[in-house]
Amino acid sequence: MTDLRDFEADIDHILTRLERAAPFADILAQRVSGQGIRLDRKSTSPSTRPRLHGAALRAWEGSHWIEAASSDLSLAGLEVAVDGIERALESTPVRSDPPGPSSVTDAEASTNPPHPVSELGVEGMMALGKDVLGWATQVPSVRDALVRIGWSDEERLYLNTTGARTYQRVTRVDASVVPLAFEGGRVEFDFLGEGAVGGTECLGFLNEAKVKEAAESSRALLSAKTPPTGAMTVILDPGVAGTFAHESFGHGTEADQFVRDRSYLKPILGQTVGPESLTIVDNGAYPGGWGTIYFDDEGNPGQRTVLVNKGRFVGALHDRETAQVLHARPTGNTRRSDFLSRPFVRMTNTYVEPGSWTLDELVKEAKNGVLMERATSGIEDPLGGQMQLKVKRGRKIENGQLTDLVTSMALSGKVLDFLKGIRGVSKAVDFRIEPGYCGKGHSDIVPAGTGGAYLLSNAIVGPA
Amino acid sequence: MSAATATVPVSYRIADKLHLDAPWEVFGERTRRYELHFNGRVVEVVRGPLVVEGFGLRIFRARGDRTAIGFQATTDTSEKGIAQAAEDATEIATHSDFPAKRVELPSAPPAAGVEAVDQKLWESPLPRLQEYVDALLAPFDSIKDSVPSFGSVRATLSETSVANSAGLRTSFPGTTVALELAVKAFGGPEGVPPGEYWINQLSRKIDPDDAGDPVPSWCSYAEDARRAQAPPTGDLPIVLPAHVLAGIIPSVVGFRWTGGARLREMAPERGTVVGVPGLTIDDDGRFPWGPSTAPVDDEGVSTRKRTLIAGGAVDEILYDLLHAGAFDTSSTGNGLRGLTFGYRDWLRFTHAPSVGASTLVVAPGTDGTDAELVEIAGDGIWLQQLGWANPDPISGSFGGEIRIGYRIRNGKIAEPVRGGTIGGTVLALPGTPSLMSCIAAIGSKPKLVDDLSSPTLLVKPLTVAGDARVGST
Repeated sequence: MTDLRDFEADIDHILTRLERAAPFADILAQRVSGQGIRLDRKSTSPSTRPRLHGAALRAWEGSHWIEAASSDLSLAGLEVAVDGIERALESTPVRSDPPGPSSVTDAEASTNPPHPVSELGVEGMMALGKDVLGWATQVPSVRDALVRIGWSDEERLYLNTTGARTYQRVTRVDASVVPLAFEGGRVEFDFLGEGAVGGTECLGFLNEAKVKEAAESSRALLSAKTPPTGAMTVILDPGVAGTFAHESFGHGTEADQFVRDRSYLKPILGQTVGPESLTIVDNGAYPGGWGTIYFDDEGNPGQRTVLVNKGRFVGALHDRETAQVLHARPTGNTRRSDFLSRPFVRMTNTYVEPGSWTLDELVKEAKNGVLMERATSGIEDPLGGQMQLKVKRGRKIENGQLTDLVTSMALSGKVLDFLKGIRGVSKAVDFRIEPGYCGKGHSDIVPAGTGGAYLLSNAIVGPA
Repeated sequence: MSAATATVPVSYRIADKLHLDAPWEVFGERTRRYELHFNGRVVEVVRGPLVVEGFGLRIFRARGDRTAIGFQATTDTSEKGIAQAAEDATEIATHSDFPAKRVELPSAPPAAGVEAVDQKLWESPLPRLQEYVDALLAPFDSIKDSVPSFGSVRATLSETSVANSAGLRTSFPGTTVALELAVKAFGGPEGVPPGEYWINQLSRKIDPDDAGDPVPSWCSYAEDARRAQAPPTGDLPIVLPAHVLAGIIPSVVGFRWTGGARLREMAPERGTVVGVPGLTIDDDGRFPWGPSTAPVDDEGVSTRKRTLIAGGAVDEILYDLLHAGAFDTSSTGNGLRGLTFGYRDWLRFTHAPSVGASTLVVAPGTDGTDAELVEIAGDGIWLQQLGWANPDPISGSFGGEIRIGYRIRNGKIAEPVRGGTIGGTVLALPGTPSLMSCIAAIGSKPKLVDDLSSPTLLVKPLTVAGDARVGST
């Protein structure tokens, strides 16, 4: 089999069986392949992505969903899964339709870069990786570096009993280098990484100047100071601003949390939450974004949804059920981590749109505080509205100037206070979207892009 | 019916069809998963069976004093799928290079007898999960102004098998259950927003008889979150219970105490003093009901207990087959798949093994109950829940936002705190303060939480970032 669509006749046959048993049913089939390399000074580890395929079957029982899944895409394998669903439905004569609109989209879309990374082959990725390793280890104290380059092709085929049929093939490319600096028993690192939907053009950032800059930063962190501690003015770099947009704010806009009464944002939909300079967007259709999808897993096209427009909280992210409950339309944000995972309302590429400041102007405006750089993680608090962001490095701001380099930090505070405290966002020249992986809670991981420009506000900061 | 596999294990079937001219290993899994997701008391989704069958094939080619390794994983167990995986792995091996002088594949059958299967769950997964959920949610009926706002239980029933070219054929069952539950407290004075306590737990078994026991405490934490204030800023004694330590210690020790860290010159030297004299930590791959507990590791090597830190000093470190081969030693039974810095992928066959800790066991001390540790702390913070400690295994730093904690005043639990951060370093250079070197008291009663069994620890101090400086409020 060279294409997921080769299984379509059997999948369609199974859907017909489900249609007889339930008022509505859908099937999401998935197939993944790809290649990657990892190397450091001690070892070289090329790999192929696991060749995984399977299908999730879903049927509406009358009051809730019943699901089954199989990694066997043969007719016999799928019939085992459908047998289980049919047995569960036998005891429920209710035949009401599920909440929300069912997709009728019939379309296909694929990533077709002019130069796919697959053309490089393992040899090409190895050659680039060795160059990167060489550049990094030319910097004094940097004795090693962890280099990773890879790509994946993910196909998803969605069919439902109202006639929707969407097929997509999304090609994601990601690479990173972690230069390791050693001195007197201490080890430190900075990192350089990017990821996007596309081809070899996504690897352009792996050049000598940028790799050496990351390596110099690793070395500098060996003698960096501990960060300041307490409540202060902060500037987030574009990646950290994106992590804020996603983790701290975005998770609260996933409307399944509204339906569960588990979002601190639900009561304030329509209200002003920040300055007029603030706009936050989720955009599954962002060209080349790491979290870009052509269709979601209910057959709706990926789209741009404005969450905060000029300071006003105006929108949430919906699947079919939340759209029904909250009188909205699905926004193309229903995602399964894979064919074994249930669908949830999820973000795609979530970002703060650029503003009108320069970084220099923001630093002068801050006067004293800290610039937080290199997002490493964040976690949501959808009901409580608190925030946690972590970064690998930063710079002190003293008397309107960037001064000492400082080590890793965590930021905390109330999201709504942070939003109200925003005093400026930098210009489009600073804007970027970074790759990440998002869990709904602690599982169901999906690729998600996060982005923004430099952003100035206030928070509590401490070493972490 | 027992949990013994009813059909031929996946890896045996694959092994019988392999024709390779180099040493090889097959790790196979047949997994069934069942899930219940609920919104309050209402079922949202009933899932299962979610059936996955797949394998990971690894081949080894000696190249002088180094080894090339090829790996491929697939869900395609047809003859064509097996041939494709073998072809992929062979191709990958032509580009691979690892400094293992030799790879000694295990052939000995494992010692029997580990506790890793919930038999009732295995035999009747969905009814047992439903029984558990009913028991878990029942106490909410009698607790005013607290509800479960969202939750899920996900049971994974795995039949794991390992076969290799040295003649090993071994298979064993295992069960795990992941619980997520968001508890919301509300009501009371007008305008006070609701509070939440968010539980995420992983275990090998469930018991409906005691499922609801912790619910009143969870509701109290959710209620306390509503009135909690930010902590003060400064260096304070912090009391860390096992469920908080489980998010901190394994990520750092599970990397730094391994052949992987040693290869990259990051492992501590044997005999180096890294902690207080009372600190002893073992790795125990056979720890009863540990999520990583199994008769063999994911390379088929028998598991056992190893002492990593004895009396505060570094003792052994952990090896898988490849890193053992790089250092002329033997595997310690710590070749694990799908476990990276705290994140656990339940499709283990999709990952090549790497070296890591199984269940880390911090030896209990003599400083008594949690209340006695609080008394010893005097003035500090009891940390009930961090947002996400997210430790950095390389630098050893950790930290995060206080989701809920309590001020300790005059040796007693006082008002709740929330917001602000707590951070520090798990392991630091000798003479530099760290979590391990600043342990002021070790509790007497250990508790297993995820991959850590530990008593409560008092660490004096850790850095707290909050509103005002310590002493000014």
